[in-house]
Amino acid sequence: MKTGIFICHCGHNIKHTIDVKKLSQYFKKYPGVTVAEDYPFVCSEPGQDMIRDSIEKQGLDRVLIASCTPSLHGELFKDLLKKSDLNPFLLRRVSIREHCSWVGDDLDINTEKARRLILAGLYSAAHYVPLEEKVVEVTKSALIVGGGVSGLSAAAFLSKMGMQVYLVEKEAELGGHVRALKDIWPARRDGKEIIDEMVEELTGKSNVEIFTSTTISAFEGFFGNYEVTLNTPKGEKKLTAGGVIVAAGFSPFDPRIKPELAYGKDKRIITTLDFERDSDSLSLPENPRIAILHCVGSRDEQIGKPYCSRVCCINALRVGDSIKEKYKDSYVESFYMDVRAHPRGGEEFFEDTQEKGVLFTRSNIAEIVPGSKGVLVRGEDTLFNEFFEREFDLVVLSIGMSPPVDNKLIATLFKITLDKDKFFLEAHIKLRPFDTAVKGIFIAGSCSGPKDIEESINHGRASAVKLYGFLNLGYAFVDPFISIVDPKRCSGCRMCEQACVAKAIKYDETKRIVHVEEAACMGCGLCNSTCPSSAVTLKGYADMIIDDEISALTEAI
Amino acid sequence: MVEVTNTKNTEIIGFACSFCTFKASEMAGSLRMKYPDGVKLIQVPCSSRVDPAFVIKAIFEGADGVFVAGCHPGDCHFIKGNYFTRRKMAALKEMFDVFSIKDKLRLFWVSAAEARRFVEKVTGMHNEIKEKKNAE
Ligand SMILES: Cc1cc2nc3c(=O)[nH]c(=O)nc-3n(C[C@H](O)[C@H](O)[C@H](O)COP(=O)(O)OP(=O)(O)OC[C@H]3O[C@@H](n4cnc5c(N)ncnc54)[C@H](O)[C@@H]3O)c2cc1C
Ligand code: SF4
Ligand code: SF4
Ligand code: SF4
Repeated sequence: MKTGIFICHCGHNIKHTIDVKKLSQYFKKYPGVTVAEDYPFVCSEPGQDMIRDSIEKQGLDRVLIASCTPSLHGELFKDLLKKSDLNPFLLRRVSIREHCSWVGDDLDINTEKARRLILAGLYSAAHYVPLEEKVVEVTKSALIVGGGVSGLSAAAFLSKMGMQVYLVEKEAELGGHVRALKDIWPARRDGKEIIDEMVEELTGKSNVEIFTSTTISAFEGFFGNYEVTLNTPKGEKKLTAGGVIVAAGFSPFDPRIKPELAYGKDKRIITTLDFERDSDSLSLPENPRIAILHCVGSRDEQIGKPYCSRVCCINALRVGDSIKEKYKDSYVESFYMDVRAHPRGGEEFFEDTQEKGVLFTRSNIAEIVPGSKGVLVRGEDTLFNEFFEREFDLVVLSIGMSPPVDNKLIATLFKITLDKDKFFLEAHIKLRPFDTAVKGIFIAGSCSGPKDIEESINHGRASAVKLYGFLNLGYAFVDPFISIVDPKRCSGCRMCEQACVAKAIKYDETKRIVHVEEAACMGCGLCNSTCPSSAVTLKGYADMIIDDEISALTEAI
Repeated sequence: MVEVTNTKNTEIIGFACSFCTFKASEMAGSLRMKYPDGVKLIQVPCSSRVDPAFVIKAIFEGADGVFVAGCHPGDCHFIKGNYFTRRKMAALKEMFDVFSIKDKLRLFWVSAAEARRFVEKVTGMHNEIKEKKNAE
């Protein structure tokens, strides 16, 4: 065995809490190790060149990179091996950053832990065998769930690129929340206009099929060929999609969850969304007194919503602005914690509304009490540490964004994950912000966390570009980590068959043994750990590989 | 190298599912959350890949504790893998009980988003086992 070990400093990230020099010196002398080097950044061009040089000059047959976690730069290092004519599955990554240098502060202890982790990698990699990436045919078609701005922008891109698009919207009309918004910020246009333009782009396109008032009732299959069953007004419809973009949007926060706000008990207490829908029919006096509350359903630990919803400050400003436009002598008071007018131009808009005469009071609101004359707002002024009580003709609650109501349903259907706030979770917040953990399934728009329209559109387009990249060729490579059965060992007990959810195990009546249907195998390894005869092996995770990893970690070798 | 022998340090081996607990551990690392160095992970595609034999092997070879961790019930990327894991580990626990080593095995669910829960679980387990070990 000729293994090359490359230990990354990751600048100071690893080097500061792990003695990388000591490690490379130690492994240099280790049996079976041909090269052991530490290097400032192994992912950099010169770092990669060094590895490639070593593979070629020393004839390495295993490469172990001890660096950041394996899910980062996975493809980069795989490609590096390919370019050096070494099978990419002979690469082992050991996470000494996320699982070691960042976990403890003591240099000696970390160095010892890293040594063990590398040792485990070394021992298990010794059993690695070259594997072939499977090529599967993929359908150049996309299922888009949700017809809001994010879903529509994804659909527009994919249809322009000539891909078949199935757009599924559970409501009768496309457009999501934006359809109902007036004078959206910062475009200062009607939401419906924007939606109509986006829908226009899709109508009449031969490669776009739009299903409104439709939900998804079943979802099966695997990357490249997902089998989708739709529940349409005209009955059930089946289709095949190569990939999916989930753009299910958000649910407006329901202020009834906070009974002290008295929402729903009096028509003088409304939300920003109610205000959007119907601001003309508000029966306000000549010089109305209006209160606007920020952060309703956001930044509120008590109700499990610690996050900032990002759009409600602007919405609060929009309400103040439009009231001041309409009623010059109105009294408008905004109750805020901080004003986070985050997108471009937001700060200027904040200043404008202040100049127009909207008052801003930093406060905590205790309760809202509808009375016969007006609505009482009680709270604490947190700048002056004073309690106050003021009467208004109208209270507008600037509500935040909650996860879509169907979040659990969709998560279960597509096997994707929710984050702690119950929005959809991206595979990696920085490096894979559009992907989910499931291959070919992406997320777009506000279903992965509060976003404004611009961000939602960008997110939708970006997911579409990624999905297009996955499906464009008509075929794709999938990881070869699937199970195989050793016919000599199989006794035909069929226990694996019962366990396999993917129904990938087939029993041969004449031979009385089983085999694995490659295309259907998901690679979970359940059959491997179930078989009493040790006849099944999950490639890449064979018993020997894990056994030796255990031995290395416990130093029983 | 520092001399850290099994008798001194409390060594925990954790089998972590790629889709959830391993992800949570990566996030815990990125967030610079601290947990004992004795906790070391083995990545598996699904908690259902964990053969009870792995757990037994780890204990026999000197691990002070072993945990198997996967996605919350109902959330398994492979649909039902974790239900099988739960059954297998329950059976294994009964067997361990006979040898009075039941406490050495834990099964817990940590989703990809739960970095904090990951740290709490592994730290809790490590500290409990360490205390017990020191008392012996
Ligand atoms: C009161 C208010 C005012 C706002 N004002 C502004 C503004 O001025 N400027 C700005 O930039 N942003 C504003 N926003 C934010 C804006 O509404 C969002 O950025 C935008 O709606 C996000 O688009 P989306 O496509 O992600 O989600 P959505 O608009 O929520 O669309 C999601 C779509 O998916 C559908 N769907 C959900 N579940 C399913 C399912 N299971 N199957 C099929 N379809 C499904 C829904 O019916 C919906 O049509 C405001 C938000 C609120 C609440
Ligand atoms: S955008 Fe403003 S109102 Fe909305 S949660 Fe953030 S700080 Fe609160
Ligand atoms: S690895 Fe999982 S999906 Fe594949 S055959 Fe085995 S049990 Fe079935
Ligand atoms: S569990 Fe093992 S022995 Fe039984 S049928 Fe499956 S592969 Fe053969």
